[in-house]
Amino acid sequence: MTTRERLFDWREAFDHPVTLWITSGLVLVLAVAPVLIWILGVTGAIKTEHRRDLVQRTHSWLFLAPLMIGPVLLGAAWAIIAVGVLSLFCYREYARVTGLFREKAISLVVVLGILLVTFAVFDHWYALFVALFPLTVAAISATAILADRPKGYIQRVALGILGFVLFGCALGHLGYFANDENYRPVLLWLLLTVEMNDVFAYVTGKSFGHRKLAPQTSPNKTLGGALGALILTTVLAASLGHFVFYETNLDRPAALLVLGVLISAAGQLGDLMLSSVKRDLGIKDISALIPGHGGLLDRFDSLILVAPAVFHYVGYFNGVGLNQPARFLVGD
Amino acid sequence: MDDWNLKPAADLGLPVSERLRSERREPGLVESAGHLFRWGLMRAFLRFYHRIEVSGRDNIPKHPPFVMVSNHTSHLDALVLASALSGNLQDRVFPIAAGDAFFETPALAAFATFLLNALPMWRQRGRAHSLEVLRERLTADACAYILFPEGTRSREGRISSFKAGLGLLIAGTGVPVVPCYLDGTFQALPPGSQFPRPTKIQLRIGTALSFSRVKNQRDGWNEIAATTEIAVRKLGEFRVARDGMKW
Repeated sequence: MTTRERLFDWREAFDHPVTLWITSGLVLVLAVAPVLIWILGVTGAIKTEHRRDLVQRTHSWLFLAPLMIGPVLLGAAWAIIAVGVLSLFCYREYARVTGLFREKAISLVVVLGILLVTFAVFDHWYALFVALFPLTVAAISATAILADRPKGYIQRVALGILGFVLFGCALGHLGYFANDENYRPVLLWLLLTVEMNDVFAYVTGKSFGHRKLAPQTSPNKTLGGALGALILTTVLAASLGHFVFYETNLDRPAALLVLGVLISAAGQLGDLMLSSVKRDLGIKDISALIPGHGGLLDRFDSLILVAPAVFHYVGYFNGVGLNQPARFLVGD
Repeated sequence: MDDWNLKPAADLGLPVSERLRSERREPGLVESAGHLFRWGLMRAFLRFYHRIEVSGRDNIPKHPPFVMVSNHTSHLDALVLASALSGNLQDRVFPIAAGDAFFETPALAAFATFLLNALPMWRQRGRAHSLEVLRERLTADACAYILFPEGTRSREGRISSFKAGLGLLIAGTGVPVVPCYLDGTFQALPPGSQFPRPTKIQLRIGTALSFSRVKNQRDGWNEIAATTEIAVRKLGEFRVARDGMKW
């Protein structure tokens, strides 16, 4: 596979069976879901209010799912750009809720940092990708001095660094997977398991949840839901992961099970992290962008911690994109 | 450990169409870049096309909040006043525009927001609340408002009486009012014409007025309107006197 093919060739989209399975499965679910909700509504199995919420969520998914899967199918370039755009929008929401957006200079540095991270990912330039973490942190700390306003310096700098680390560095790892030859099945498998982790937690929580997980942080989450999601996500991630990482170092039951646990735990922690942020600020939803979901961050919170954890776990066993040419834009 | 002082955006959670029409709209990075570009372009345009002349620039307070008021004869007026302010104020300069004229439809609101960075003042529906929000924001966010107390553009170029709305915004707050007189914008772009003519524009900025001791009630508002009107008219007479001497 040449770099050009990896980046832009959509004709290879369904070469890997897992890509085909996940895509067709999703198309099927999104086609059946509205019919199912309609039947449940007509037969009176669910309440009108509950139905409206379900309709709104499904409607949003009809837009969200193609936006998530489409770039991955089209080519690595689009996947990387999509992650970059996601990072920028997530940072925007974060800056607006924390008030950091009023600090224009710091915000500008964070945005430039995210753009550079996206460039480093695109160019498969891992050294720059790593270097941007300390460099941007330094740039944020330095830029904040310029205003000559020491009162609140720590808060402004810390908010800027947290924003960059979460949405530039952590989320950037999601895009870096696209430098692997096998990026389509890996990314789709990761997106599917993380989103299903949320669904599993919700469903098992409704069915078996009694004891609250962290009532102060997120009153609706239960220990039952967390454990249910841990078990179901691990089974899903490991069994599907067997085909994604077929005959690689990772393709061992123990390694795949640990990977599943990692995804579920990091996903739920990401969710709780955003809940903590919202509780701290005293707000319910980050924004009103996606009807039924809230903001982009409300939807993609679980991915933020999963991306670096899974990246380095997979990297430890297999490496990511090791046989792909690096720094093809800037040269060696 | 004490809590941090975290203040979410005041227009958080509003859908785009409502956000554009909100008195609480706060600019982000993209909007700020837009301001920098727009006011820069506007400054160059006024300088080369209208050969603008500004006097009394020292009368502008060094730090916001303050309110700039002036006679109103043209759509150019708000742009001229905003461009006279220094660069570091650019994010906090808000022309106050009639909500029912400039913010009625989402398209108009987008236009007023992106081209003017205007905030709406609703004249009928929700007037009291609208003014209250603007009054609160003026000091809380240290803004510079641009306001035309006549309430509308003069159709024949003469000053008509100032309305009390200005008083409602600042009575008893100590926020200075900067009286200005605009000369030439009526000749350049009077109501009803489409394209500005390259005539000379003059902006005279007068000494700031303070109304910190004026009570926030009807007679106080009227007093503020009357005093400001006199100050603006005086700046206008200055032109007649000088031109008289020249002749």
